[in-house]
Amino acid sequence: MKYLKIPMERIGVLIGHNGETKKDLEERSGMKINIDSKLGEIVIDDHEVEDPLMVIKIENIIKAISRGFSPQNAIQLMNDDADFFVFNLYDYVGKKEAQVKRLKSRVIGREGRTKRVLEELTDSKVSVYGHTVSVISDIVRMNILKKSIDMLLTGSRHATIYRFVETQMREFRRAERYGL
Amino acid sequence: MGRWGIAHIFASFNNIIITVTDLTGAETIARCSGGMVTKSAKDEGAPYTAMKVAQAVSEAVREKGIDRVNVKIRGQGGNKQGTPGRGAQAAIRALVRSGLRIGKIEDVTPLPHDGCRKKGGRRGRRI
Repeated sequence: MKYLKIPMERIGVLIGHNGETKKDLEERSGMKINIDSKLGEIVIDDHEVEDPLMVIKIENIIKAISRGFSPQNAIQLMNDDADFFVFNLYDYVGKKEAQVKRLKSRVIGREGRTKRVLEELTDSKVSVYGHTVSVISDIVRMNILKKSIDMLLTGSRHATIYRFVETQMREFRRAERYGL
Repeated sequence: MGRWGIAHIFASFNNIIITVTDLTGAETIARCSGGMVTKSAKDEGAPYTAMKVAQAVSEAVREKGIDRVNVKIRGQGGNKQGTPGRGAQAAIRALVRSGLRIGKIEDVTPLPHDGCRKKGGRRGRRI
């Protein structure tokens, strides 16, 4: 048994239209997901599941949905080398609303430019929701993405970050090519 | 038939330590960590290292007659990051693949019931 709690407004997304999303998740994992839509509590029944990793994956997927990802993006976490990470903005600037807002807008950028560039360059997904920034990416690229978002949140200039991600990705691709 | 054991997997972002004990948890049977299989410090927490650590442990363990383990994974916990690092999944997968049977998996990350103040101060992390 696993217990989770997600924001009320994301429960509808987790259940989906006529329960589609929930049913899809249950079918893929072979687990029973119990959702209390009044309290926002979720119970995952992990008896009779053969794959021991499935519980962790499902937990990650539900957490990703609760952190603002769409189910289509969150389902990528079923993949073996996908990884999920949450930055808590309170750890960077404390709880002042104006400060949190400033950081969120730094990550998103003008008309979503920064977020889009990060997503396109590293081939991953970024979600800014509430006081968190969360990312879905594969394990190797996650390092680059994590470092660059950390730089954004601690105050580096945007141009520096674009340059950083670009050089890192170029290096990564070269390493991959020689590795194969 | 082999006996049961417990595999304690500690996966932080910078390292991974796997200790296999008997069912009481008091008697260590095998232990391996990131630094024992890789040279460079930056790789200690990588998934590939986690795989190697798991393989090393499972070999040592099976020599001593244990072929089924319950798994307890643990992240850094306390007032630090609550989820196990990226090595944990890779380690479990490697344990399965190397022929150990997995029983229960449990997350034993220590969670504060509102304990100490997090590092960083009132205005958060600054540079």
